[in-house]
Amino acid sequence: MSSLSLLPLLPFLGALAVLLTPSAYRAAWRYIAIAATGITVLVAVSVFFGFQVGYGGYQMVANHAWVPAIGLNYHVGVDGISVGLLLVASLVAFAASWVSEEIRDHEKLFYTLLLVMVGGVFGALISLDLFFLYFFNELALVPTFLMIGIWGRGPDKNAVAFQITLYLSLGALVALVGLVCLYALSGANTLDVVTLTAWLKEHPLPESSQTLIFGLLLFGFGTLVGLWPFHSWAPQGYGIAPTATAMMHAGILKKVGAFALLRAAFPLLPAGVAQWTQVLAVLCLGNIVYCGWVAMRQRDLNLLFGNSSLAHMGFVFLGLASVSLIGVTGAVLIMVAHALLAALEYALSGHVYRQTGTLDLSRMGGLMRTMPFVGAALVTAMLAGCGVPGFASFAGELTVMFGVWPELPWYVVSAAWGGLAIGGVYMLRAIRQVAHGPAAEATMSGADVTWSGRVPFLVLLVPLILFGVAPYSLVNRIRPSVALVVQRARPVPATAPAPATAAVAAVPAPPAH
Amino acid sequence: MEPTHLPTAFPPTNFQDLAWAILMLPLVSALAITLGLRRSRVLTTTLSLTAVAVGFGLSVWLFFLFGISGQHLAATPLAWLSVGGLDVHLGLTVDSLSTLMLMVVTGVSFLVHLYSTGYMEDDPEYPRYFASLGFFTFSMLGIVLSDNLVQTFIFWELVGVSSYLLVGFWYDKPAAADAAKKAFLTNRMGDFGFILGILLIWGATGTVSFDALAAKMGADPAVLGSLSSLAGILVFLGAVGKSAQLPLHVWLPDAMEGPTPVSALIHAATMVAAGVYMLCRVFFLFELPAAWPGPLAFLGHLSALDVIAWTGGLTSLFAGVIAIQQDDIKRILAYSTLSQLGYMVMAVGCGGPDAAMFHLTTHACFKALLFLGAGSVIYACHHEQNIWRMGGLAKRMPITFWTFLIATMALCGLPVVSSGFYSKDAIFAAALAADRPVLFVLGILVVGLTTLYMSRLVIIAFLGSARSDAASHAADPGRNMTLPLIILAVPSVGLGWLPLGAYFRHAIFPHAAEHGMSEASDVFFEPFNHSPLGAFLGLGLLAFGLSVAYVAYWGASADPMPARLPRLSRALRNRLYADEIYEATVIPLHDGFAALAGGFDRWVVQGFFVRGASGAVDLFGRGLRLAQTGNLQTYAFLFVAGVALVVLLALK
Repeated sequence: MSSLSLLPLLPFLGALAVLLTPSAYRAAWRYIAIAATGITVLVAVSVFFGFQVGYGGYQMVANHAWVPAIGLNYHVGVDGISVGLLLVASLVAFAASWVSEEIRDHEKLFYTLLLVMVGGVFGALISLDLFFLYFFNELALVPTFLMIGIWGRGPDKNAVAFQITLYLSLGALVALVGLVCLYALSGANTLDVVTLTAWLKEHPLPESSQTLIFGLLLFGFGTLVGLWPFHSWAPQGYGIAPTATAMMHAGILKKVGAFALLRAAFPLLPAGVAQWTQVLAVLCLGNIVYCGWVAMRQRDLNLLFGNSSLAHMGFVFLGLASVSLIGVTGAVLIMVAHALLAALEYALSGHVYRQTGTLDLSRMGGLMRTMPFVGAALVTAMLAGCGVPGFASFAGELTVMFGVWPELPWYVVSAAWGGLAIGGVYMLRAIRQVAHGPAAEATMSGADVTWSGRVPFLVLLVPLILFGVAPYSLVNRIRPSVALVVQRARPVPATAPAPATAAVAAVPAPPAH
Repeated sequence: MEPTHLPTAFPPTNFQDLAWAILMLPLVSALAITLGLRRSRVLTTTLSLTAVAVGFGLSVWLFFLFGISGQHLAATPLAWLSVGGLDVHLGLTVDSLSTLMLMVVTGVSFLVHLYSTGYMEDDPEYPRYFASLGFFTFSMLGIVLSDNLVQTFIFWELVGVSSYLLVGFWYDKPAAADAAKKAFLTNRMGDFGFILGILLIWGATGTVSFDALAAKMGADPAVLGSLSSLAGILVFLGAVGKSAQLPLHVWLPDAMEGPTPVSALIHAATMVAAGVYMLCRVFFLFELPAAWPGPLAFLGHLSALDVIAWTGGLTSLFAGVIAIQQDDIKRILAYSTLSQLGYMVMAVGCGGPDAAMFHLTTHACFKALLFLGAGSVIYACHHEQNIWRMGGLAKRMPITFWTFLIATMALCGLPVVSSGFYSKDAIFAAALAADRPVLFVLGILVVGLTTLYMSRLVIIAFLGSARSDAASHAADPGRNMTLPLIILAVPSVGLGWLPLGAYFRHAIFPHAAEHGMSEASDVFFEPFNHSPLGAFLGLGLLAFGLSVAYVAYWGASADPMPARLPRLSRALRNRLYADEIYEATVIPLHDGFAALAGGFDRWVVQGFFVRGASGAVDLFGRGLRLAQTGNLQTYAFLFVAGVALVVLLALK
């Protein structure tokens, strides 16, 4: 069995173990979750370092026919696009299990759902059969709705849970329609990515079908990522979700949508790419600029983080819209970086909420004084959020800017960079209100974290900085795989300013398993 | 590509390790303090002082090895990120320009560290202060040593962050927290242009490395085509932010809320000088012929240098005028810094980056000295910063007074016995050589203003009799605070006697023919031979400024200007309303957009689309209740229909 299969398997086994542990040992549930996700961290780390740098194809592949009649395979593998995401997914899951002390009722159900969600995320990221990718993504989404509905905060939780369910189910459904169309129209009789790629190379779909399917996938998966104007579920949902749910969803599950676009839509439908990138370039400015302005108006820390997170996703879409090696590499880099960043932000706001009972910006102040560690970590995370060097998110955003410069009109690039400037404005205003200044009444009583309580924050913050200082460790893994995707998504060579084809040409065949 | 080179252990096997050590030592000390050493004050002090002192020693060594000989050290870069046509590495440039700047940065930084051991002695967060100071020094050295535009931009932003941490060091104080935020955001506005400029240059040439760019632009001056002026101006915008030029100057006076030694380091000698240094580093970019793309063709022959020269000149005048009506000792120095930075930028614009670097070097010494002197005064007067509540300090604080006076003479440009005289003269000569008589006159006028506001400061704060209880009990601070003052006084007097102008000329234009630099015996009176017009006019204005200050302020108990010239005085005390202009234009405009987007999101996207759609779906569902349709399927249907509509519309 490929070690990759352990990644979803361990959390699922953990979920089973939680279910089977009787209430007399209720303290064990959390430790089971921590242990299960902790071991996946080890597996993911070994996958990351066992990954052969320089190969663009799939590695550590396992392939078993499952339902041959409809071409359904249990086909898993990892490439440069997923390897970094797997690593950060395991870290986010581990941190999310650690911070879930806050859950005081129905803990058994909570940890079961959390572990199912984690397993689903891993399943989606390693699947090379689009059916399984979709299935696992849905498997991870359903617990989200339940967790918000059951453990959410505040009086609006049912309405918000309803809204997020509505949006995400429908987004997923539209994507499903797209996948079904792909299955039906391609004639390949499979959704296996590898087989489908080879098949579509020989038998390309007519342009109109490609355009239709790409559109469905773009809006379907795009809604899952929070593509403007289908975004409003995200900040609202994260605003009231339990901490672990917000960390998992904003951190990693949301990226699965963009990941699916890179797996399914871009490499398989080049004619669709050509039709839709201009639209995508405009919509992503909605995320970057519009959501940035919306973030400026927020009076709640979580709503601010939610809108800021949408702005970061806008940069992912911007990178994708460039369909260039540099831009798409940057987009994947942001996905990895932002997984850590978003999870860190929600973990911190969760702690602050537990301690002070409020996330209302106007009632907060002086956190640096009352909670030195959490305050400093919050300031650090917020600086990372406005694109300061030294954090992986900066490397990603910078790379995207370079990637889109030759490909998209200059005003798109200027507007996007302007979005980062807006990000600086609201983040620094928030730091000023939350962390600086004299301590506010609401934050007086709050306690800082204990030594063991620092673990989840450090697990997220340290890699965010390490990847920011040495982004090549990610980029060198991402680049060859992105080169393959870009090559397929844009058969005609791009008008790059410099010989960008060197890396494309240097992609050898995947290594023997 | 995995990292190809890592610095090896000390002792160095080759000289690039020395340069890496200079860069990394302050970072290592900052990290060590943050991660644990902060428990011990002694260790914190020892480590951070040693790191910078060793850095200074190594800088001097490199200066003698590479700076004087004009050799260029080719260092193996560290990989950072490489994808497609974008290849960014962290490299080092060790040449004449950078080694001298290294000495300035590490030297001033060391003295500020030393001074801070006294000034910050009673602060409970002493270790955090030294960690931030180390982090700042690291970031600044990164700019100095950078060998490409992206690396410069990275450290540029890190300097912004570390200055944010230092200005906001006393974050409990609302004014300090606000000032830190303002400094960071204002710098960001300049960086916005800087990165666009970098993208533009990279798009046209495919490289961001200084050496490769200089070679390409030297070989083919038309390489940027019609974008050359635009690229230059965008890159210059970065310097407008960091070096606080009009209209982004508003952050610097507010940044005085930080601890005073911080102001000496970052708001006098280093951070604000980074903009000027960067302009000199990429000066080849400004030598390209002016050209504009089609829609901007009406700008004709306006070159980036024109914009730079006028921005600098106007900043110099603007800030000099404001300084004469400030009462806060640090704010006077802050506006003075703006004014002197304006000189440097103007010199770059006049095609004299060598003069700009010359003035940068002398200014770093005497302005750091002025700020540290002001720090001593503030320390001795129990955090009193208003000069009208000082007075008579000359007798009680002799060391502070005499060193402050020396620095004041240097700032005003007193002939022969001050370094500022020589470096300012180089700037006036550059303005004349570039055939910009208006800027020349403007620069000379600013000499008068400088002398006026500095004499006012010295007369009121140091001479006469004490105007407050605190001032009557003031005394010179301890030796760790007076020693840096004495050390800095030496270069403030004598730096101009060294042939720094020729040194920088050779550093920036290695292939240019030597100017007719006179014999060494002549060096003291060189400016009178070299550009007699500038030297004599400057001397005249200096005398004029001094006389005005003497008449108006000698023995005065209150400032006569508000009574004599009420309108002008009020306008100057309100800093010529620059902040108010921002508060009336840019900020509400931007907040207006945000309000619009926020309202749209709340009422239209969420209210209309979401609630409206769910309301409509609800009605629809009631209508379909006979068919027993569950809600979710209905929504699903509607959503798919909507997306299909979008798809169809897009296909049209």
